[in-house]
Amino acid sequence: MLRSFRFTAAALALVAAAGCQRGPYRPTAHFAPATSQPVGKTQAEDPAVAALIRPYHDKVTAEMQGVLGTAPVALTKKTGESPLANFVADLQRQRAAEVLHEAIPLSVMTNGGLRAGLPAGPVTMGNVFELMPFENELVVLDAPAATVQQLFDFAARVKMAVSGATYTATPDGHALDIRIGGLPFDAAQAKPYAIAISDYLAGGGDNMVFFKNIAPRHTGVLLRSAIADHIRDLTNAGQPVTAQVEGRVKVN
Amino acid sequence: MQRRDFLRNSLLGTAGLTGLGALANAAAAAPAAKAPVKLTILHTNDMHSRIEPFPEGGGQWAGLGGMARRAALIADVRAQEPNVLLLDSGDIFQGTPYFNFFGGELEYKLMTRMGYDASTLGNHDFDNGLDGLGRQLPNAGFPFLIANYDFSKTPLAGKFQPYKVFVKQGVRVGVFGLGIELAGLVGDKNFGQTLYLDPVAKAKEMVAQLRGPEKCDMVICLSHLGYKYDNEKLDDRKLAAQVAGLDLILGGHTHTFMDAPEPIQGPDGHAALINQVGWSGINLGRLDYEFAPGAKRGGLASAAVVPVRGAC
Repeated sequence: MLRSFRFTAAALALVAAAGCQRGPYRPTAHFAPATSQPVGKTQAEDPAVAALIRPYHDKVTAEMQGVLGTAPVALTKKTGESPLANFVADLQRQRAAEVLHEAIPLSVMTNGGLRAGLPAGPVTMGNVFELMPFENELVVLDAPAATVQQLFDFAARVKMAVSGATYTATPDGHALDIRIGGLPFDAAQAKPYAIAISDYLAGGGDNMVFFKNIAPRHTGVLLRSAIADHIRDLTNAGQPVTAQVEGRVKVN
Repeated sequence: MQRRDFLRNSLLGTAGLTGLGALANAAAAAPAAKAPVKLTILHTNDMHSRIEPFPEGGGQWAGLGGMARRAALIADVRAQEPNVLLLDSGDIFQGTPYFNFFGGELEYKLMTRMGYDASTLGNHDFDNGLDGLGRQLPNAGFPFLIANYDFSKTPLAGKFQPYKVFVKQGVRVGVFGLGIELAGLVGDKNFGQTLYLDPVAKAKEMVAQLRGPEKCDMVICLSHLGYKYDNEKLDDRKLAAQVAGLDLILGGHTHTFMDAPEPIQGPDGHAALINQVGWSGINLGRLDYEFAPGAKRGGLASAAVVPVRGAC
């Protein structure tokens, strides 16, 4: 009581002395009841907030279940040449050519860049999201012939196909008999080769370090959108979603 | 009654962490002088468009999180506590199809509904570019605080503020934001002409402003720098060690699950607490503070860059 009075008097004196000023407050932390409270299954939902979410949820669900096309046979992923990587790399090349109004001779997609295959039967937007969950952009690299040689040597080590080209992979991981658009690759060519690729791989992802110093040309198209659009285009043209392993990589 | 006992016990248990033990004792000597002001800080980081709980199906976080649940939890706290500050440390965007389809609209609307007081910007909040971010700002009924990005040469000039002062029962709480270097982390075209400024220098400037002219009793940094890197890269721990006058750093970016806040001693001997609560709204962070009216802050009073003055 006495202390309380003294404190008040002191505080009043301070106020009187300093005009409008007051003493600062000092914060003291408590860690109660927990500093990291789990938002778990036993926590009830706020019904009003749940109601706010519902129409968005329904739209997302409907969109994800929306059928874009039909695949008679599953497009699977695997190391080496795969139907899925051929499918995506080919549509990258086609879309980049459309956007940039020029021929794009080469296109690259690694097995690791594709997260799931497309199932046989109806192909949904949800399937495309699983295949390409990343916000990767389709870009074009203008690669000098020496870099293209590095690309094929990289490809030969994992027997990876390159869209627009064929080559023979030697057992010790070298690329021979490289043909681009059916013509022999000219390692002395001065004109760069345009390569359609994701911005992730263009930036050196999946150990493609040899691309890192080439400034990409943007298409402004998300790779996922390019895939979904291509499947829709096939459907509109009455065509199924198909891709084959067609011997782009010959193993010697 | 029980809760009051609990608070008192935890006050005794953790007083040393604040680095103000002596002053806490002085305050304890005059307990009936004036009821201390209580402040409950709730916080999230890196929510990454996780509107709904993680899907069931065996993943590590299956069934956890969910914004409707978080809203209920926050409402419960608000019903019990007189003063609540609800804060976020960035990367609200990206991670579920909700972002791909709606560009962050629902995230901002739900945060507004929950009554978020402020957030800062994370690198993923630039994923739809400056335009994509700008388009969603009208859906956010709370400010984005960012002191070390200069947007003056971008279409978002004037849309953000470096700090904000919240007043709770006379207690002035200054909150400012710090973002991570965008180059290399965000596509060039997505951040355009946004300039990245030195977070340490900006933090010192913010503390001087908030402790000085703004007369704040507490200074909180919303950081998207990351909790801890083993290399030279600036993190929350290095920030706390280099900047005097910080009370609390609410972190993000590294998705760190901290069991308890970590105290880091600043150059003035005053310990700042760092807290971060994982990601995706799996957890809601909570720190309770009590503000006892008292004398000048220890340590801070002697630091030239952080003048302590009475507030008007």
